[in-house]
Amino acid sequence: MAALAVLLWWAPLAAQASNGTIIGRVTDASSHQALEGVTVSVGDHGALTTAEGRYIIVGVPAGTQTVRATIIGYADATKTVTVTGGQTVTADFQMTAQAVGLSKIVVVAYGQQRAGNITGSVKQVTPTEFNKGRIVTPQQLIQAKVPGVQIVGSNEPGGGQEIRIRGATSINASSDPLIVVDGMPLASGGGISDGRDPLNFINPNDIASITVLKDASAAAMYGANSANGVILIQTKSGRQAPHIEYRGSVSASTVTRLPDMLNAAQFKAAVQQYAPGNVSQLGTANTNWFNHVDRAGIGQQHDLAVSGEGNSMDYRLSLGYLNQRGIIDGTDLQRLSLGLNYDQRFFDDHLDIRTNLHTSHEVDNYTPGGVISNAAQMGPTQPVLDPNNPTGYYEWPGNTLQSADNPVAALRLATDKGHTDRSVGNIQAEYDMPFLESLKAHINLGYDLTQAKRETFSPSDLHSQLKTGGGGNVYWRTPSMLNTLLETYLDYSAPLDVLPGKVDLTGGYSYSQSHAEYPWFSASQLSTNLLGVNGVPGAQTSQNQQDIEDSRLISFFGRLNYDLNDRYLLGLSVRRDGSSRFGPANAWGVFPAVSAAWRISEEPFMKGRTPLSNLKLRVSWGKTGNQSFANYQQYSTYLVGDAQSQAQLGTQFVSTIRPSAADPDIKWETTKSWDVGLDYGILNQRVTGSIDWYRKNTSGLIFTVPVAAGTNLSNYLTTNIGSMRNTGIELGLDADILKGGANGLSWNASFTVSHNTNDLTSINPYGGTAAQQQILTGLVAGGVGTYIQVLQPGQPINSFYVYQQKRDKNGKPIYSDNNGLDSLGHFTGKPDGVINEQDLYVDQNGDGIINQADRRPFHDPAPKWIIGHTSNLTYRQWDLSFTLLAYLGNWVYNNVASNLGNYQELSRASPYNLQASVLYTGFATPQYLSDYYVQNASFLRMDNITLGYDFTYHGQPLRVYGALQSAFTITGYKGVDPTAGINGLDNNIYPRSRTFTGGVSVRF
Amino acid sequence: MIIRIRKALVAAVGLLLVATTACTNTTVQPKSTVTGANVFNDPGAYEAFLAKLYAGLAVSGQQGPSGKPDIQGIDEGFSQYLRLYWEAEELPTDEAVIAWNDVGLPNMNTMTWGADNGFVRAMYYRIYFQVGMVNQFLRETTDDKLDARGVSASLKAQVHQYRAEARFLRALSYWHAIDLFGNVPLVTENDPLGSTPPKQSTRVDLYNYVVSELKDIEGQLPAPGPDTYGRATGPAADMLLAKLYMNAEVYTGTADYADAMNSIQQVINSGFYSLDPSFHHLFQADNNTSPEIIFSIPQDGIHTQTYGGVNFLIHAECGGSMDPSAYGIDGCWWGIRMRSQAYNHFSAGDGRASFFYTSGQTVDVADIPTFTDGIAASKFTNMTSTGQAGSNPGFVDTDFPMFRLGDAYLMYAEAVLRGGGGTRAQALQYVNALRERAFGGTSGDITDTQLTLPFILNERERELLWEAHRRTDLIRFGEFTGGSYIWEWKGGVAAGTATDAHLDLYPIPGSELIANPNLKQNPGY
Repeated sequence: MAALAVLLWWAPLAAQASNGTIIGRVTDASSHQALEGVTVSVGDHGALTTAEGRYIIVGVPAGTQTVRATIIGYADATKTVTVTGGQTVTADFQMTAQAVGLSKIVVVAYGQQRAGNITGSVKQVTPTEFNKGRIVTPQQLIQAKVPGVQIVGSNEPGGGQEIRIRGATSINASSDPLIVVDGMPLASGGGISDGRDPLNFINPNDIASITVLKDASAAAMYGANSANGVILIQTKSGRQAPHIEYRGSVSASTVTRLPDMLNAAQFKAAVQQYAPGNVSQLGTANTNWFNHVDRAGIGQQHDLAVSGEGNSMDYRLSLGYLNQRGIIDGTDLQRLSLGLNYDQRFFDDHLDIRTNLHTSHEVDNYTPGGVISNAAQMGPTQPVLDPNNPTGYYEWPGNTLQSADNPVAALRLATDKGHTDRSVGNIQAEYDMPFLESLKAHINLGYDLTQAKRETFSPSDLHSQLKTGGGGNVYWRTPSMLNTLLETYLDYSAPLDVLPGKVDLTGGYSYSQSHAEYPWFSASQLSTNLLGVNGVPGAQTSQNQQDIEDSRLISFFGRLNYDLNDRYLLGLSVRRDGSSRFGPANAWGVFPAVSAAWRISEEPFMKGRTPLSNLKLRVSWGKTGNQSFANYQQYSTYLVGDAQSQAQLGTQFVSTIRPSAADPDIKWETTKSWDVGLDYGILNQRVTGSIDWYRKNTSGLIFTVPVAAGTNLSNYLTTNIGSMRNTGIELGLDADILKGGANGLSWNASFTVSHNTNDLTSINPYGGTAAQQQILTGLVAGGVGTYIQVLQPGQPINSFYVYQQKRDKNGKPIYSDNNGLDSLGHFTGKPDGVINEQDLYVDQNGDGIINQADRRPFHDPAPKWIIGHTSNLTYRQWDLSFTLLAYLGNWVYNNVASNLGNYQELSRASPYNLQASVLYTGFATPQYLSDYYVQNASFLRMDNITLGYDFTYHGQPLRVYGALQSAFTITGYKGVDPTAGINGLDNNIYPRSRTFTGGVSVRF
Repeated sequence: MIIRIRKALVAAVGLLLVATTACTNTTVQPKSTVTGANVFNDPGAYEAFLAKLYAGLAVSGQQGPSGKPDIQGIDEGFSQYLRLYWEAEELPTDEAVIAWNDVGLPNMNTMTWGADNGFVRAMYYRIYFQVGMVNQFLRETTDDKLDARGVSASLKAQVHQYRAEARFLRALSYWHAIDLFGNVPLVTENDPLGSTPPKQSTRVDLYNYVVSELKDIEGQLPAPGPDTYGRATGPAADMLLAKLYMNAEVYTGTADYADAMNSIQQVINSGFYSLDPSFHHLFQADNNTSPEIIFSIPQDGIHTQTYGGVNFLIHAECGGSMDPSAYGIDGCWWGIRMRSQAYNHFSAGDGRASFFYTSGQTVDVADIPTFTDGIAASKFTNMTSTGQAGSNPGFVDTDFPMFRLGDAYLMYAEAVLRGGGGTRAQALQYVNALRERAFGGTSGDITDTQLTLPFILNERERELLWEAHRRTDLIRFGEFTGGSYIWEWKGGVAAGTATDAHLDLYPIPGSELIANPNLKQNPGY
């Protein structure tokens, strides 16, 4: 920073009395908007234009001078002026755009850049490109729009979205990218909530742009939080004369697919054959339980925004209301949102103060737990209602643990609801230092306050309570979090006197802290059901707990961008992060990045000689960190036991304390990544796109690994141990295929293609074979502690870990007694009277027995290819757009089939309904670990189709549109949804909905 | 005016930059957990830490019944010490099968476990979790540390007794390690806390260490009384010593029945215990009042909740047409039954068979996952001796009688028969005392000629069924592996088959061989 200061003070000393001054303003020739960042030069003097397009060059020698204005994406402009000593002469420029895309301003970390000058891998998406239809969470806006970005949501309205940028980089820390809203970084995963997505606090209609920083050079300015990439969300500010905008829409959603269960006749026949003892329990009804729990989900949304701009200010105030019901009864979401963006400039625009505020109140209702799973398990021969039952609903006799619950009863009797109040805001001041043009000081003060509540209530007469003796349960949790941020940084951007080209220097400091509390309370054996979630009646047992999580992150950061004639571009950045999560030996981490770009198209041998309007080669390397793991890992703590885990010492019960194992040196996970990219534009940017190759090597992965027994206080220790690699390519293509003008047919098509391979390279430093290092993961339904996935060196993370099912020539699983055991426990190849594992599975290691060693990694849930396509067609006032999304090479474990696709489920105290795969496999006993259930879930989905019509009414623009989301899906996958969660486990997931939305937007 | 404001602004920006760069302290101490630095500021911490050492046998973590588990890598309910120990001692034997298909569990029924078996692994880690906790307790309670913290003289005396109790618990777990795994590392409070992998010890070294520990603490442990219920006492240490001596030939290659006899006599003659007039009472919700129990793992429906322990036993032994409310519980887990061999060892009139549940159950276990295959038994129950249900149908009050006088009587008889001293007359008297309680009179008494080692093995099964002794007993009698005694599904075949002798020891978990390169796997794995 000292060097910067010297440089800053040095620059203005050149002014001499015999010289003159040139001032002026640079604007876009067609829009007449001011152009910022234009290099205006005279000989070896130069300046950059301000946000208002103004520039000043002092110390210009007297005489006739040629003034040159250059900026990427515009044709160079020159003007000849006569300078007189001690006088000021004016030279204004109107510049003509050549390739508009290149001059587009893109939001980057701590600043903004012209798209054409960016040296990293960055993609900005703006509202015209956003997905249409009923979008509740902002992440869905960019689904299929950015190569290398995977977004997987729970299908609930407003449900949690998981984002992976260029694959997962972590196992035990988070793999979610950092999300920054208007310069305010949010907590890991976007913050906290009552259960739905934490980003729901932003009304998607308030968003001006979403920028994805994919490579390390773009993200490393966020240091220890940037290893998973960064998503910058910029909200709308006021533009143009004061006006009011209203957008309204209504929508209806229906279920696309449900689990494939036996119908009443099939169920009855199966019970008669396989569990004759249970036939007496069967009723005569014909109930499709899912028909009783699903519904058409109706929704409406109304947004009103007032915005405008004046000479030295702009403002935008928005109010939103959303009410969306889910396709499973009991699920809904209501959101009231308020957005305020206010910008005021002072002192001839030298001081710019911007306020961003987003506040929402969200009320959520959830389908009570177990409704979906019990709709699958409940016998279809049984009725919904039973007048003899005190609740009025039918339940299997005997209240045994081994019987399903009536899902309709759970829907009507149990409660699961919550709400989230969140407010995120900041004040950003930008001050042009008076003593030196081009030096700006920034201060950013921000906060993020969330208070949420989740309440569930199960009355004592609910079947699930009766069969477990729970006696009714009420549960609350009320998490709250307050994050505050202080950032100051200086930015100096100017042409250099000592070197050709221009520099942009940024250096600053950031201090953020977080305070969160997670109290919860649970009471059971209630004396009355009358209070529901609203009170605590006399309860036999109650538990409550408080967890306080404080953390702090202190950072210093600096960046240098060097631009030589818009042709050679260099970026250097470094961030030093100190985090309360790091152990004292590793309190501070340094995260450098370097990037360079060569705009080949600007070279004389290329310029004007090819149809290429842009060709830029980019190379970057950087080191990023991930500190999204739990607080206090470095402290050896004593965990106090609760009142239900006491030890009896003599006649009294004593609460316990337990020392926990800790690694005092715990630190961030480090990702070092390379990115090589090519940005191209053809025919004056009519066709544009980019190609990227990347490799991300993550080391110091936090794993909880076994430690030598007896040496520490637990069998596992959480420490920085593993490593992983992601390699991939990305392709983006955007083409104006038809340009029909205002009245003709126009067609813009864009494609995104990305391919990623993940390889877990090591887990454990103590060595051992890959098989010995395995960590099982992916807990599924069926048995207790059944894990279906594995973390194993040399394999992608979360690879399915299964037995190879023996199959006949048609691929059908063989299910017969063909291979028995001899007296030594080895295969005979002859029947032994029972169908067991050796009959079904391949003995991989040939040791004559089937055990854990015969399981093998078999595919993984991450898509190998993600392909997106969007077309926008306009003809006169009509517009039609659609977005297609495809995954290739993603596999899903069909857990409903593996858990309920066997006849043994009929022999329970009351029979469970079966998944229809049993009719094909004939499995009498569960085969949870068979590769039969790991199914290729590649798919092609029409994500949305939108048809719109624009016209004017009484002189005001008006638009009506209709959108259909999840129009169709083509897939060979047999379960409920091929995007069944990021980890590919399809177990009674919320089904995907097909949504039709009709809407109108007006402006007046 | 504007210039002044500007100057002020410049100054403010400058100041802010300077002031903020000064704040570089990243330390944030935890608030809602207690750290090692301050935990012993509370004098109650010593008792609370001791309580954890006991709780390590009774519950699975710091949140009852489930949550904040002690060990990882396995379902928490499965990870409970007593549940794992019970499964290791009972499931491979003629006494029990369990119906469930959870990965690794069926192999416990059939002696087909490998080094990756999750239940074997969890048992190993459970043992060393106990050892690690005790070692840390001993490190934190040395006289030096107590003096440095300025604890009162009375507390210091108290802590001295706590230390002896802690060492008893460590000895108990090391006994399990010797019995189940054989040659495993010996880690004590003198080893540093950290991640340096310990060396492998021999079974003999461990045996000698545990014996010397128990001899050393015997005198420091309190005498039995109301305040020591569920805790280590002098006779409990003697009983544990007796267990080691009885199996010395298995553990060390050298029999030591004389010392076994000596320790057994110390227990019996201590005068603190008598046979409970009611056999059933030993396994009921109020069994804490039984005069027979020497060392128990207490459970409680309100205070000590777990999905393991006796709660697991009572729920898992219930299924078929059994009515859970008859046993004071909320539901059946459809798990444990006897194999036909064990059932057939009981004769008519034996009251110890009176809790067998035969309705709808077959004698033979044709199919292990089918609960109705095999005779069920409600030996453990959450009903009190007066017919009341326990305090909570979800979590039982019934304590686990790990050591009891009845066992000591049978050990006495066995030690006599194996030449450890004592008298046959006394042995016969003890055996018949148990049989008279079982048969409600002398109808089941045996004669001196019937008092043989094979009889003792079968009598131990009848008396101690499902009390987690069977595997150790069968090994001591040479009947566990091999082909001399075959039971249903032994070796994974319905009729049963001979098994290899290496199965007398469980494998050291594969994950442990990676974590600790000093270790060599037990032979045969």
